[in-house]
Amino acid sequence: MLNFNFSVVGALAKKELRQFLSNPTGYVFLTLFIATAAAVAFLNDSFFSRNLADLSTLNKAMPAILMFFVPAITMGIWADERKSGTDELLLTLPVRDGEVVLGKFLGAFGIYTVGLLFSLANVGVLMYLGDPDTGLMLSTYLGYWLMGALFVAVGMVGSTFTNNTTIAFILGALGSAVFVFTGTESWASALAGATLIGEFTALCYYIIAGANAFAGVVAVVVGGSFIALWRNQLLEWFADAFAPLSATAHFSSFGEGIIRLGDVAFFVSGTAVALYLCGLMLSRRHW
Amino acid sequence: MTTKTSPTKSAQVSISASGVTKLYGDFAALQDVTFDVREGTVAAFLGPNGAGKSTTMKILTGYLSPTKGSVRMAGLDPVDAAQRLVLARRLGYLPENGPLYTDMTPAELLQFVGDVRLLGSALPRAIDRVVVQCDISSVMSKPIAKLSKGFRQRVGMAQALLHDPEILILDEPTSGLDPLQIREVRKLIRELGKTKTILLSTHILQEVEAVADSVIVIKSGRLRFTGTLDELRGQSTLEQRFYELMDKEAA
Repeated sequence: MLNFNFSVVGALAKKELRQFLSNPTGYVFLTLFIATAAAVAFLNDSFFSRNLADLSTLNKAMPAILMFFVPAITMGIWADERKSGTDELLLTLPVRDGEVVLGKFLGAFGIYTVGLLFSLANVGVLMYLGDPDTGLMLSTYLGYWLMGALFVAVGMVGSTFTNNTTIAFILGALGSAVFVFTGTESWASALAGATLIGEFTALCYYIIAGANAFAGVVAVVVGGSFIALWRNQLLEWFADAFAPLSATAHFSSFGEGIIRLGDVAFFVSGTAVALYLCGLMLSRRHW
Repeated sequence: MTTKTSPTKSAQVSISASGVTKLYGDFAALQDVTFDVREGTVAAFLGPNGAGKSTTMKILTGYLSPTKGSVRMAGLDPVDAAQRLVLARRLGYLPENGPLYTDMTPAELLQFVGDVRLLGSALPRAIDRVVVQCDISSVMSKPIAKLSKGFRQRVGMAQALLHDPEILILDEPTSGLDPLQIREVRKLIRELGKTKTILLSTHILQEVEAVADSVIVIKSGRLRFTGTLDELRGQSTLEQRFYELMDKEAA
């Protein structure tokens, strides 16, 4: 990490940002994201009936919103490179794989940050309607930002599997869904755990076998087996084991104006692990 | 068309592959391929489609690693991550079909490649040089997606030449070009071959005769011949010898 040349990382991040923002689709995404966030925050009865100048209604929905919007940013990040063959051009330049991963992450995260900055209009609305707590707003937006970092990294992992952007979007959304739904209900945690184990097994299969032809089948069989064992009460601990991975739970304290070190560490370490997996997938071409 | 049959210009080996094998599961894309390319020469990597030319080039540039065997480029091992970085600064590479970021303009692409290559203050002059060398000044501000195949290939060449590399690896550089464009690219390769080591892949025999000092013939991942153009020809024509080598493998 210390050996990274940050000029190179910066050039790569700039390319990603520029590519996204020079494309009309990028602006459609940003507009939809801002409109959805605003609609969820204010176009409901509970916001006005509570009579509080905060974003608690948006906080509840934000993980689910990001689950769909962030993979839309990341779906093409590797898939498009592989489809057009530019990955070969990129990876034969004097760059380390880690620099490419970090550069692409910072580019995608930069796009997400731009979207988040535009959504600060929500805070403007709160200021117009009442007197929101500045500290609460800052911690809430820090939470959105960190959760977005995790989902960007998870979406990037999804994009390494395929050269089809639609499949990359689905994989990214599925990966993010694990962190959104685990911990909400016992069955959701079990399903999220099974998805996580299934995806991890598929990743191992993909790395070892060098082909993704049966990776999906492997994921379904392994994940399904764990669900069957849990349903038959042979793995009672299974659902509980994955509840601590809930991004929703780790975000909740930010939405209350509390910044816990453990929650920050969860998002930062989760992002780091996902980026490491991206690097691993990238280096697989040498195996 | 100029026929280049001069002997090797230097004794120093610049590109060396030794017993290179690349397996994809049970399929062998390359089997025990060994050859050398001497410094300051143009070598043609000749073979039919699917022979393993592109796989070899990907291994030489460090994009892929061989399953067995070793490679040396300017004395550096592309498999070693640290050495690959040093090599990449001395190597220009035009991948097959000239993949480029089509939403960029050539000016933006060269700027990006120059930034990644950390050319710094030398970049504007380097861009000016390759723009003239590859004759792309008229399309510098057009999106690459809107350029003809010939111009795209020239832009690909320009990015490969931007840092004035000592070794050039060109994977089918004239693929998809019209006869006039082919003539221009061959002329450029001959010009560059005066100062650089060039390995280009092709399945066009006339191309070999036009630009190459030495030839490496490959089929089905196996080496069929390596030597000078005169050695390949022997007493017959290049075409005859090529088909003999191809039939020999099938026999």
